[in-house]
Amino acid sequence: MYGALDVSTSGMIAQRTRMEVIASNIANAGTIENDRGEYEPYLRRAAMFAPVSAGKGVGMGVEVIEIQIQEGATRADYRPNHPFADDDGYVQVPDIDTTVEWVNGLQASRAYEANVAAAETSKNMMAQALRLLA
Amino acid sequence: MLIGDLTTSGAMPAAEMLLKFAGQRQKIIAHNMANIDTPNFQPKNVDPKGFQKMLGDAIDLRRKKTGGAFGVLEWKETREIRRVGRFGGAGMDFELRPTTSGGGILHHDRNDRDLERMMQEMVENATAYRVAADLLRTQRSQLRNAIAQRVV
Repeated sequence: MYGALDVSTSGMIAQRTRMEVIASNIANAGTIENDRGEYEPYLRRAAMFAPVSAGKGVGMGVEVIEIQIQEGATRADYRPNHPFADDDGYVQVPDIDTTVEWVNGLQASRAYEANVAAAETSKNMMAQALRLLA
Repeated sequence: MLIGDLTTSGAMPAAEMLLKFAGQRQKIIAHNMANIDTPNFQPKNVDPKGFQKMLGDAIDLRRKKTGGAFGVLEWKETREIRRVGRFGGAGMDFELRPTTSGGGILHHDRNDRDLERMMQEMVENATAYRVAADLLRTQRSQLRNAIAQRVV
């Protein structure tokens, strides 16, 4: 019974982590320099989920196994006057579609809610079990 | 009825088993819910019909043996409900091995989740748990009243 809360919490943590990754993607949609001021366009990140198992088919929730950095996820933007522009006048900018990120964010938020609902139900069940003593 | 039969009288063992079953099944449902966005994850659950049949058979057997008013439930393992502990036929502890697939449509990430069905399972499971807890509570207060020799 108590394990059920752990499982739902793992789901909430995973979705929150995913939300942080999405927020980072949106925040850095126009970032083309790294923290040392060098030309290095921000690469889109994605949270990778995997189920946690305790063996014998007993599930223990979900975890973020990797924050994947998507290599080469840039697109060329024509900015001839930009200091980092190449000979043809193009600058590599992050290939981030904020609409896609928003939709992923909504999905993460709904999945988070589903886990909250499961945790709420588990909590009520625990309260029922504890009332056996009363 | 001996004092040892206090905890095995009436519906108590059946209610206890239902409570344990629903408690463990809640964890499985929570696991499926936690992995709602996990690629390649295909939710597995325990079929409550199998449990009901197992419990029904055990209650029938007890009725045949003792008349039904008291006695331990001698239940048989199924594919998804495995015995744990050392009390042989009388042991009440079991663990669930989910193998039944929800059978939803496969999404692009090879996950065949079905949120509505999961929610329905969870509500039904919580209701079953509440029924079992209420039954146990009633049985217990009846026992207490009987011991205190009073009528409510």
